[in-house]
Amino acid sequence: MRLFGRTNIDFMGQRKLWYTVSASVILIGLVSVFIKGVDYGIDFLGGTELIVHFNEPVGIGDVRTAMDAIGYGKAEIKTFGSTRDILVRTVEQGEGNTVGDRIRSGLAERFLQNPFIVLKEDKIGPKVGAELRRDALYAVIASLVAIWIYVGFRFKFIYGVGAVVALFHDVLVTLGIVSICDGLLNLEINQSMVAAFLTLVGLSVNDTVVIFDRIRENQKIFRSMPLKDLMNKSLNETLSRTIITSGTVFIVLAVLLMFGGEVNRGFAFALTIGIVTGTYSSIYIASAIALEWGMRGKGNAKLID
Amino acid sequence: MKKYTGKILFIAATVVLSIYFLWPTYQDYALHKTLVGLHGDDSLQYVDSHEGELRDARAKRIKLGLDLQGGMRVVLEVNVLKLIEDLAKNKDDAFALIMKEVREEMKKSDVSPVVLLRRKFEERQIRMSRYYRNLRDTNDDIFKYLDDEATKAIDRGMEIVRNRVDQYGVSEPSIQKLGGNRIIVELPGVTREAEVRTLLQGTALLEFKLLKEPEVTYRVMDAIDKLLAASGVTDSTDTATVAATKDTTRISTAEGEMTPEEFARKHPFFALAIINEKQFPGEAVVADENREKVRRILDREDVRRTIPNDMQFSWSAKPRLVSDGKKFFTLYPVKVAAELTGGVITKAQATLDPSFNQPIVRMEMNTEGSREWARITGANINKRIAIMLDNAVFSAPVVRNKITGGSSMIEGMDNLDEAKLLEIVLKAGALPAPVEIVEQRSVGPSLGEDSIRAGIISSSLAIVLTVLFMIVYYRMGGSVADVALIFCVLFVLAVLAAFQGTLTLPGIAGIILTLAVAVDANVLIYERIREEMAAGKTIRAAIDAGYEKAFTAIFDSNLTTFITGVILFQFGTGPIQGFALTLMIGIVASMFSAIFITRVIFNILTDKYGSRVSFG
Repeated sequence: MRLFGRTNIDFMGQRKLWYTVSASVILIGLVSVFIKGVDYGIDFLGGTELIVHFNEPVGIGDVRTAMDAIGYGKAEIKTFGSTRDILVRTVEQGEGNTVGDRIRSGLAERFLQNPFIVLKEDKIGPKVGAELRRDALYAVIASLVAIWIYVGFRFKFIYGVGAVVALFHDVLVTLGIVSICDGLLNLEINQSMVAAFLTLVGLSVNDTVVIFDRIRENQKIFRSMPLKDLMNKSLNETLSRTIITSGTVFIVLAVLLMFGGEVNRGFAFALTIGIVTGTYSSIYIASAIALEWGMRGKGNAKLID
Repeated sequence: MKKYTGKILFIAATVVLSIYFLWPTYQDYALHKTLVGLHGDDSLQYVDSHEGELRDARAKRIKLGLDLQGGMRVVLEVNVLKLIEDLAKNKDDAFALIMKEVREEMKKSDVSPVVLLRRKFEERQIRMSRYYRNLRDTNDDIFKYLDDEATKAIDRGMEIVRNRVDQYGVSEPSIQKLGGNRIIVELPGVTREAEVRTLLQGTALLEFKLLKEPEVTYRVMDAIDKLLAASGVTDSTDTATVAATKDTTRISTAEGEMTPEEFARKHPFFALAIINEKQFPGEAVVADENREKVRRILDREDVRRTIPNDMQFSWSAKPRLVSDGKKFFTLYPVKVAAELTGGVITKAQATLDPSFNQPIVRMEMNTEGSREWARITGANINKRIAIMLDNAVFSAPVVRNKITGGSSMIEGMDNLDEAKLLEIVLKAGALPAPVEIVEQRSVGPSLGEDSIRAGIISSSLAIVLTVLFMIVYYRMGGSVADVALIFCVLFVLAVLAAFQGTLTLPGIAGIILTLAVAVDANVLIYERIREEMAAGKTIRAAIDAGYEKAFTAIFDSNLTTFITGVILFQFGTGPIQGFALTLMIGIVASMFSAIFITRVIFNILTDKYGSRVSFG
């Protein structure tokens, strides 16, 4: 069975259009991030978070009244998968477990007829929250640097740059979309989400490297072909593989998104977006950058192995 | 077929090895299933006869993360600063000020308190030897001494935490040091959080302190009362409480009857700290809701000056009496210096006191302790000694006679469980420095089960979809790839079991992602093979070319993903590390199965079927 025969799409010819598209998407995303903000989990803010499961469905308004009564009126309250599961989160800090205890007794007092069990309880001290933030940032930076070095070393320097810019693009686009959708899907920026970002970086570069590999190979064979044509040829040749692999990953992630449970939801969502932009960016960011650079020079930049 | 015997044997060996490592997991599952089906004596018998097996299986099975098992994860931070503070002598106001500054700075920075302390001292040009060790010691010497003490305290703290956890009886606990002064404790299956927190945080400082005589106590309380009345402190107190005491306090009888409000105005302290000479001589009772107020009063500068230097007020650990459904705590006037501390305790045993059927903890002391205890009890007959744990008074019995055997007991616990907790904590020893819980995550077992179910459903579905797709799209090549996929998953789980890695919910996601990576490798190879065949090569040549040319692409792309996995493992904690681990193992396993195993299979197939091997 074949989904793609011999294709001959002029990818690079349309790149200017796609630059605009990318820029707009990133811009919209950034606007959302700056205005709407992102929903930080307690991993990075510090505080206490409880997920409780009630026997009967509860209204968020009632929970808020209960929290107001114990002085945590500003707590974040949302449902967690069903109307019986409530997530309460506050950045208040207290000795030991006083915050968690207070929340529990506050809920017990208010919902006397509706017993609940605690599914999950997390408490993060302020210093730990700051440390997790710092570690997450270092992790992202470290992976970008590592990839830059490796790709620059295995191919040519400009390809390293192209790869890293593509990754930046992917992270920004995903972050923007997560910010836009965080209300709908209950997404928050926590360790799990950061792991998703790092994974999408890994998968995106995976894709990019495959294309670069083909470009490198073709350069050795077709030494006199203009760079633009060479790239188009390489892209067309790898198109089949790109679509199939990305398609498979996409389906696998969709399964995870639908059946993987509430805990994995944010992770799966970010990765799903990431796969789409990752595939796209390998073509229209990474390769395009290498092309622009090559064309500034002699129009026939060589790749060194 | 014969020329591939070596390779086939190799593959077979890896499979056998994998099954060997995975066997305990299956065994554990099967044994427990049988156990659940048995009842009463049968199950006891079963456990007895299969004890070794059960233990082995449990020890070698794949470890489940807390998010799948349920349990608690606690990060303790050892309060090194408090330790340093306690080690100092001749503490004065200047010292207190420095301590305060260091405490403030520690909230913001990660620098070790010893380093910060030294900096502060040097800034002020005060020699550290004024407060530590001998005058002749240089700052360097003292710095090293304090640093050593700090490290020793953390190691000792970890030992004690480990002891306590062991005694508490958790299966597969994990206790590790993290960074400079943190301890990570993971307790699978534990749900009684409050207990665990007490277990881990209680410093277990046991002290025996004499109570001050009633006359002295009343004089001090009177002074406090007058001081407060003079400075116009009135607190809206519970009128019912005050009304109940009106007829029993000394003061009120001397001055005649008063309304509760008048009483509160004239005697703000006694309105809150109620004295009853006949029932509780030499101590005061405070209603639960007034405890905070009394604490604040006792914390005031002027109040503290009226209390003699050798005296302090300590609270009872538990509410003493319940009157009209209200709880009252006792305020004890104790001597600041302890007569004896917990270091002399050699044995502790939680049990039920036969005469009153109350839970108690019996303690025994070493020879030195017994001698001291005999001396102390002998010299204080008919006086009261408070038995205190972590600065809370558990009981203050009257010394009836000299105790020579070195035995004593703690009473006043709510139930036997609490007594047992105390026993553990006393036996394991007192923590050299207080520990604070800086991070705590607990997952209830039901969420854990839900997560496992979600994990199994999603991974099974993912595998099925992938397998089907490969067969449809790549035909025979696809089936071969599917076989390799199964091997891949098998290897990942086996490596996890072999290295005692932990499987978490994100870890399951990692395995699912590995499927995608494995598929990718095969797709690269097969697309290449198709290209080569379209260019006219024979099936064998096409396969050779396909594998050869696709290899660099597979290698480079997988390596970059692997690098991200390494970084994730470094910077992540808990479940995230589980994900990074399965991803890394998966990448390696997928390369082995997609490149090596499928190649062997194709070689065999093409030998047998030649060009009938299809790639769709």
